[in-house]
Amino acid sequence: MNRSIRALYLTLAAGFAVLVLMLGYWQVIAAGELDERADNPYTLEKQRLVDRGRIISADKVILAESVVYREKGQKYYRRYYPQGALAAQVVGYATAREGSTGLEQQYNRYLAGSYGTGAILDRLRDETKDGADIRLTLDTRVQKTAEALISGRKGAVVAIEPKTGKVLAVASSPGFDLNQVASDFASIRKESGAPLLNRATGGLYPPGSTFKVVTATAALGSGTWSPSSTFDDKGVYVVDGKPIYNSGKAKYGLHNLTDALTFSINTTFAQIGDRLGGRTMGREMTRFGFARPVEIDLPAGEVAVSGRYRDGKLLPNEQRDSDSARIAIGQENLQVTPLQMAMVAGAIANSGRMMRPYLVRRVITRDGVVVKQQRPQEVGSVSSAYIASEVGRMMGSVVSEGTGTEAGLAGLSVAGKTGTAETGDPERNQAWFIGYAPADDPKVAVAVVIEDTSGTGGTEAAPVAGEVMRTALSVGPVQGEPSA
Amino acid sequence: MSLRTRELGFLVPALLLGMLGLAAGASARADELQAGPWQTALGVAMVFVVMHAVLRMRAPLSDPYLVPIMAALTGIGLAMLYRIDPGLAGDQAIWVTLGGIVFCAVIVFMPDHRVLERYRYIIGLTAVMLLVFTMAFGTEVNGSRLWIEIGGGQRVQLGELAKVLMVIFLAGYLREKREVLAIPTQRRLGMNLPAPRHLAPILVFWGAALAAVVVLNDFGTALLFFGVFLAMLYLATGRALYVGLGITLFAAGSLFIWAAVPRIGARVDSWLHPFTDPQGGGYQMVQSLYALADGGVVGPGFGRALLVTEGGTPRIPALETDFIFSAVSNDLGYVGAIGVMLLYVLLMARGFAIATAARDGFSKLLAGGLTAVVGLQAFIIIGGVVRLVPLTGVTLPFMSYGGSSVVVNFGIAALLLVISNRSRQGLVEAVRGVPAT
Repeated sequence: MNRSIRALYLTLAAGFAVLVLMLGYWQVIAAGELDERADNPYTLEKQRLVDRGRIISADKVILAESVVYREKGQKYYRRYYPQGALAAQVVGYATAREGSTGLEQQYNRYLAGSYGTGAILDRLRDETKDGADIRLTLDTRVQKTAEALISGRKGAVVAIEPKTGKVLAVASSPGFDLNQVASDFASIRKESGAPLLNRATGGLYPPGSTFKVVTATAALGSGTWSPSSTFDDKGVYVVDGKPIYNSGKAKYGLHNLTDALTFSINTTFAQIGDRLGGRTMGREMTRFGFARPVEIDLPAGEVAVSGRYRDGKLLPNEQRDSDSARIAIGQENLQVTPLQMAMVAGAIANSGRMMRPYLVRRVITRDGVVVKQQRPQEVGSVSSAYIASEVGRMMGSVVSEGTGTEAGLAGLSVAGKTGTAETGDPERNQAWFIGYAPADDPKVAVAVVIEDTSGTGGTEAAPVAGEVMRTALSVGPVQGEPSA
Repeated sequence: MSLRTRELGFLVPALLLGMLGLAAGASARADELQAGPWQTALGVAMVFVVMHAVLRMRAPLSDPYLVPIMAALTGIGLAMLYRIDPGLAGDQAIWVTLGGIVFCAVIVFMPDHRVLERYRYIIGLTAVMLLVFTMAFGTEVNGSRLWIEIGGGQRVQLGELAKVLMVIFLAGYLREKREVLAIPTQRRLGMNLPAPRHLAPILVFWGAALAAVVVLNDFGTALLFFGVFLAMLYLATGRALYVGLGITLFAAGSLFIWAAVPRIGARVDSWLHPFTDPQGGGYQMVQSLYALADGGVVGPGFGRALLVTEGGTPRIPALETDFIFSAVSNDLGYVGAIGVMLLYVLLMARGFAIATAARDGFSKLLAGGLTAVVGLQAFIIIGGVVRLVPLTGVTLPFMSYGGSSVVVNFGIAALLLVISNRSRQGLVEAVRGVPAT
């Protein structure tokens, strides 16, 4: 019987060996994955133990920091946002209950100190590393100006540096106080106007006439037209038996392409779109980055894709049977984000080269070690430098003598394009302005959208854009931080 | 060095381990260095010292390692219970005292375990009655019907006692039948089988175990009973065929029940896919897995993991009983959990060594069966925690909170030591030329 006893013992011992392996799977191999699950109470609890990194603007203003407090002798950290509501949707929040958004989510790995190869070793030693700081490209002075100008209204402002893609301001109104997220999230959610939505990156609007910048680029790129090509406006252009009119049913008669952009003449652009066709218009849209997610350092869920939508679904840019005449004037189910339109203006400003927009300049530890650095990166070319300069010159005329004069700045040349998307209710226009300044050496490109206004792009959005650009130019590059 | 002195040498560090665990848990709780509940710790240590003294007087030749291993497991268990809820540790100390009394009583009043063989059928019948009684009048707790309410809000698990009685019965029964079971008399389906009337007990046990799954709503208890039966059948006959046949029958029966009984189907589903319903059926499992993941390799130490909310409720339901191993893995990490598992393997090593050293078939079967019951029970509940088998309502021997379990396991240890003492005594007497009594 002793042989059986031995065999039974070995069988049971082998069973325990299997248990050891299984346990090792859960405690070591699968542990990281389990720790990252959203409903894991340990992870949420442990977040309170981490001295999370700070979020600091380009002008060295602290937007988010961790404040220490003691409870039953244990050191805990609580997130504090000294600027309250400033850039709330971009900075985002990081809470156990409400999850996380914005940069707090996108850079969580760095902010929470769980980056690098040391992370696994830290796990083995059960140590927690202090979080690293993130330094933004965003300038609070530009941001504050933008937010003040649209406060009380629904809308968004994006300001970028066209040569680098650095994002200077991302404003979305209405906003909310980040410090209120931890204490009273319910009332933020109840507020009207969806304050949690980042309209600048996640809001989709019909672009209206601002899209004519894309059409003008395609027109010059085709070689068929130049800024001085002449057109004769009869006040209406008919496509597929349906008429396209100018704003206010105006009739312009003989004019050239520059005039057409300056006064936003629909019939001319519809005609150009019609003659270019869906393929050519679509190709230009692809070059401008439409129908493709913008690679910005924000959570993917907070950045909407600009393009043509039908029944909530994105359509490809190049669709054979598309109505290129109406696309050319920004209609036909086009839905765009302010970020995308700021990039359109930025690409024209930067000699046709579109730069990847970015919010975080560098990730840096408390003792000054740079963990991650972002550099300007070109994402594509929308046109030749010559065509971009021609389109830019036409956009300059929009501001100097056309629909965008309100964006003009004393002593500086500004280039831009207005847009007014009508919703059918005259009190609820979507007013747009995209542009850049100074026209001869662009330092800032902007996109402004104001929702639900009785005014137009020229009266509502252009003055905001002008003021934001003026602030951006006056603050200049931050000292000791050479741009690019 | 005498066996008992060696026992004392191992017992002292084993007891210190538990005391340090309690002090560490208390210090973590208060966030300052504390001695912890030293009265409880000393009381439990005294119980083990008395057990040691009784062994010294009445069973001086018994195995010297079993009691220290028990003490280590009991101590770690107490420390875990204390860090979950100090009140639980106080209760458990009482159960340990009661277990110590039972232990000493067995040693003192049953110097020769072989008397049990004579009463095997009465014992077997009692085991069946206890189980039937539980099935008929049991109270359902956490979905399993394993408890009998007695006065004062107390509950006992008669199944724990039935388990031991069944092992005693099987040891006697199989000793008697081992020859006929071991010798095949017919060939069916390509297998050499004994006469059908000798095979009948296997089928009876198979049916009873499956009935237990349905009625008690507890896969673990059924698995334990059937597994111990197969283990002892194998010990008695040395034929792996029976084990294979038994496992096949049990697996087939379980699959059938899983498909046929929706209530049990749901249990199995939440075992296989806990993350599909992490707030409902899978809650306990998911929370336990989070605890394991949090423990990591070394764990934060006694009482330092976040097992209990600020309000004092454990994050994992049944943490102090079915899931005490999750608490160990969380506080002490993978390393500590392996240590505890090694203690069970050591316990089995000693138990099977006692079985090997025993000088008659009944003693071998009894020692082997008792060891298998403890080892298999630990395997099943730890297997439940690491998701190897469906979650079960069996306790982790010596560690889980609960009087029935503690008292019965102390009794098992006492029986093993009586067998061990007896066989060495026989050996000594044989060497001296004195006839064994």
